[in-house]
Amino acid sequence: MTNATIQEIEGIDDYWGPAFRSVYEGEGGHEAFVQQLDERIQQHDKEIEKLCNFYYQGFIDSIRELLQVRSHAEELHAEISNVDANVKESTESLCTRAEELIKARRVELNIAATIEKMELCLPLLTTYSKLKTQVEAKRYYPALKTLEQLEHVLLPRVGAFAWCAQIAADVPRLRRAIRDASMADLRDFLENVRKLSPQVGAMALVQTQDMLGRSLANIIKNRKEAPPAGREGGGAQCPHELVDCSPLHRCLHIHGVLGAKNDFVQYYRAQRKQQARLVLIPASGNLHDSIQSMKNYLNAVLGFFILEEHLLSTGAGLVSKDWLLDTWSMAVTKVASTLRTNTSLITDPTLMLSIKRQIVLFINALKCYGLPTDPLPLLLQEMAEHYTEVLMQRWVVVFRDILDNASFLPIEVENQEQFDAVMDTFPCDADELEAQPFPRKFPFSPLVPAVYVQVKEFIYAWLKYSSGLGLGGARRAGAARHSAALLLARSFSGCLAALFRRPLPLVQLVQIIVDTQYLEDATSFLYEFISNITGSELVTTQTAGSMFQAARDDAEKQICENLEKKVDEFLDLENYDWLLVEPTGQASSFVTDMLGYLTGVLSSLEQLPERARAAAARAAAARIAQRLRRALLEPAVRQVSAGALHQLDLDVIQCEQFAAAEPVPGLREGELLEHFAALRQLLDLITGWDWSCYLHDVGLEGGKYALVSPRDAAALLDKLREAEQKSSVFSVLKKNERDRRKLLDTVLKQLRQLQNQDG
Amino acid sequence: MAKTYDYLFKLLLIGDSGVGKTSILFRFSEDAFNISFISTIGIDFKIRTIDLDGKKVKLQIWDTAGQERFRTITTAYYRGSMGIMLVYDVTNEKSFENIKNWIRNIEENASADVEKMILGNKCDLDAKRQVSKERGEQLAVEYQIKFVETSAKDSLNVEFAFYTLARDIKAKMEKKQEASNPPGGRTGAHQLRANEQQRKPTSWLSRCSVL
Repeated sequence: MTNATIQEIEGIDDYWGPAFRSVYEGEGGHEAFVQQLDERIQQHDKEIEKLCNFYYQGFIDSIRELLQVRSHAEELHAEISNVDANVKESTESLCTRAEELIKARRVELNIAATIEKMELCLPLLTTYSKLKTQVEAKRYYPALKTLEQLEHVLLPRVGAFAWCAQIAADVPRLRRAIRDASMADLRDFLENVRKLSPQVGAMALVQTQDMLGRSLANIIKNRKEAPPAGREGGGAQCPHELVDCSPLHRCLHIHGVLGAKNDFVQYYRAQRKQQARLVLIPASGNLHDSIQSMKNYLNAVLGFFILEEHLLSTGAGLVSKDWLLDTWSMAVTKVASTLRTNTSLITDPTLMLSIKRQIVLFINALKCYGLPTDPLPLLLQEMAEHYTEVLMQRWVVVFRDILDNASFLPIEVENQEQFDAVMDTFPCDADELEAQPFPRKFPFSPLVPAVYVQVKEFIYAWLKYSSGLGLGGARRAGAARHSAALLLARSFSGCLAALFRRPLPLVQLVQIIVDTQYLEDATSFLYEFISNITGSELVTTQTAGSMFQAARDDAEKQICENLEKKVDEFLDLENYDWLLVEPTGQASSFVTDMLGYLTGVLSSLEQLPERARAAAARAAAARIAQRLRRALLEPAVRQVSAGALHQLDLDVIQCEQFAAAEPVPGLREGELLEHFAALRQLLDLITGWDWSCYLHDVGLEGGKYALVSPRDAAALLDKLREAEQKSSVFSVLKKNERDRRKLLDTVLKQLRQLQNQDG
Repeated sequence: MAKTYDYLFKLLLIGDSGVGKTSILFRFSEDAFNISFISTIGIDFKIRTIDLDGKKVKLQIWDTAGQERFRTITTAYYRGSMGIMLVYDVTNEKSFENIKNWIRNIEENASADVEKMILGNKCDLDAKRQVSKERGEQLAVEYQIKFVETSAKDSLNVEFAFYTLARDIKAKMEKKQEASNPPGGRTGAHQLRANEQQRKPTSWLSRCSVL
């Protein structure tokens, strides 16, 4: 039991309770247990003793050994310390070296990295500096290219450095600067172009002129004359070379690079359009003042479009064909209208000629540059009309001057020299004159050669305009003929008509008629002259015979009026004694004077065409008859005696003799007499007392007194009766006288009746 | 019917070509002057009525061509003339010398009692003068003819000359009339019936046609 308990206690470590209880409560009590415990202790002691006895030797040995080891260890320790010191000594430098090595290695690595980085940066920097110099040198296009490279290739490669950022930030600024600078260049260019384009135009015109005047002979001559002559115009061969277009192209490229090509083209076109507008407004306001301003204007316009045309072929879309033609059509209309307004004011033919020459050149130059010339040839035609007008106005003055100073006397020449001088200026058929002795007398006055020469001058001046218009000789000649005819028929006739506004002396009138005849005859010579100088065939079909008919009619009318006036003046001297008892037996003096005068005048009109002379004679005869008849029937004359009637009859007979003698040739037989027929019948009726015949035939066609109206017969009879009554108022009438009086009354009554029937 | 005049005098202008006969007449009839020379063809006349002592006198002035070739036409008019103006140009010696020939012409062709007067025209052209006024006066005295220097251009003495000649004719006519009136014979030659009616000169005119 106790034993078990100890075992248990020994066995069971941690649960000591039951073991103790059993010890206390167990059979033998605790003494037993203590005993057992003592026994146990003794047992263990013995075992320990045994054990100790057993290991003691070993222990001693060990200790001994240990002590030995101790000394060894001490030895070793010393040795080791020694070694350690040695090692320590030797590794110290090694370590320093190693550390140095490590440092160097690191530096080396760093350097390599830096170099690498730097190598990346270097092109960027060189490019940047290149860019800077390019910008500085205004080489904008390469600069832009560089810039692009910089931006897209180099900068991303380099990475994020502060300076890179700065450069990157600089890029748009530079780009803007370049853009601005190139725009400024463009503006300079545009300004320059504006200044130069007149020169361009001028040069083009000069070249065109050279080209037009080009012929084999000319070319050879020029070659011979001026082989060493240097190029003119600063070495420019073509007009457009005068202008340096490179800024424009640069600018275009720059904008192309900037991606704003379209904007640029738009801008350029807008600018040029605006310039075109400016060019089209004449700088000096009035182009008709001088040829120079006209030249400048055309030069500027031409220069402008030559450059545009040049750009069309070279300018990479800067100028499109459509745009050019569009602008040109706008411009050419404007040019035409400007020229039209300006030329319409010109009154100087020389200026018009120069302007026309300029316009023709202009048109030719345009053709060379392939620009349509459309309204301009029309303008030239209009100008031609205006030119003709201007010339006509000028020649009106010339004609007026000639007419104002005209003597209207036939040309008289004293010697052969003078004769030849006239024949040289005026072609006429002078075979008859040739045979006459000096002084010879031409039928026409100096007016004729003067006008003829002037018409020739006019034709010269007129043809000057039509030269170079590319018209054929025949057309030019036709137009020249037309103009010359117009000049004579309108201007000269107008001047003549103006001449007739005031009364002219007979001599002048006669000479005018003769002169116009000669001028008309000379038209064929004029046509010949025109065909000679235009080199076209002679046109003879045109008859201008009645060119001055109006003038001649006027002159003839005036001659007639002139004569009628003279007749009136003579008849104002008429001084009949209406109560004359007995006629004097001779014609009244005013009648003889008048007839003498008329005979003289009519015979002095020998130069007149027959028709005109006959007309003059007719007019005079008619007026005499009319005035005499009026005098006889004048209501203010109340009484007419038979004597007076006979006196008048005598006068009328004188007139009839004059008429019958046919004072001028070309009259119908008895034509002048007809004018006196009415008066003659009236006088015959009254003096012949042939009332029965009259009353019988009255109203009958072709009767003996068909021209006597009952009213006139009655009026005259009345006067006769009055006169007879007065002379016989106190005397006793004889029978036959009474019968006569009775008859008279009856006739008068019948006449009054007839008169009433008619009335 | 009222007559428009009391007397009708026929006057004649003679002298060399270009002395200014037409200009003098133009000045007298139209009171105008034309610088350009237009020679007269044959004969021309102008009529102007003047007032002389309350009488209306109609002057029918015949202007003759001075040129030789018209001489036959112009001499025919001498006979009918009652007054003749002999015109010369003071700047033309020849025209002055020819006055004597013209006077001879008058003596041969005109009626004996024709009134005459010598005019030295163009007296405004003093610088070109070739005939002095004294020589003109001397000639006039020699022939017992009245003389005056005129200028058609400046209208100098033209009116005076015509009025003087007209007045002389009128005076001579009235004197003759008085002389022939008492006998009262109707000779017809120069009978003037101015007193009977308002009309007079026909008788004189008819005499012309007789001759």
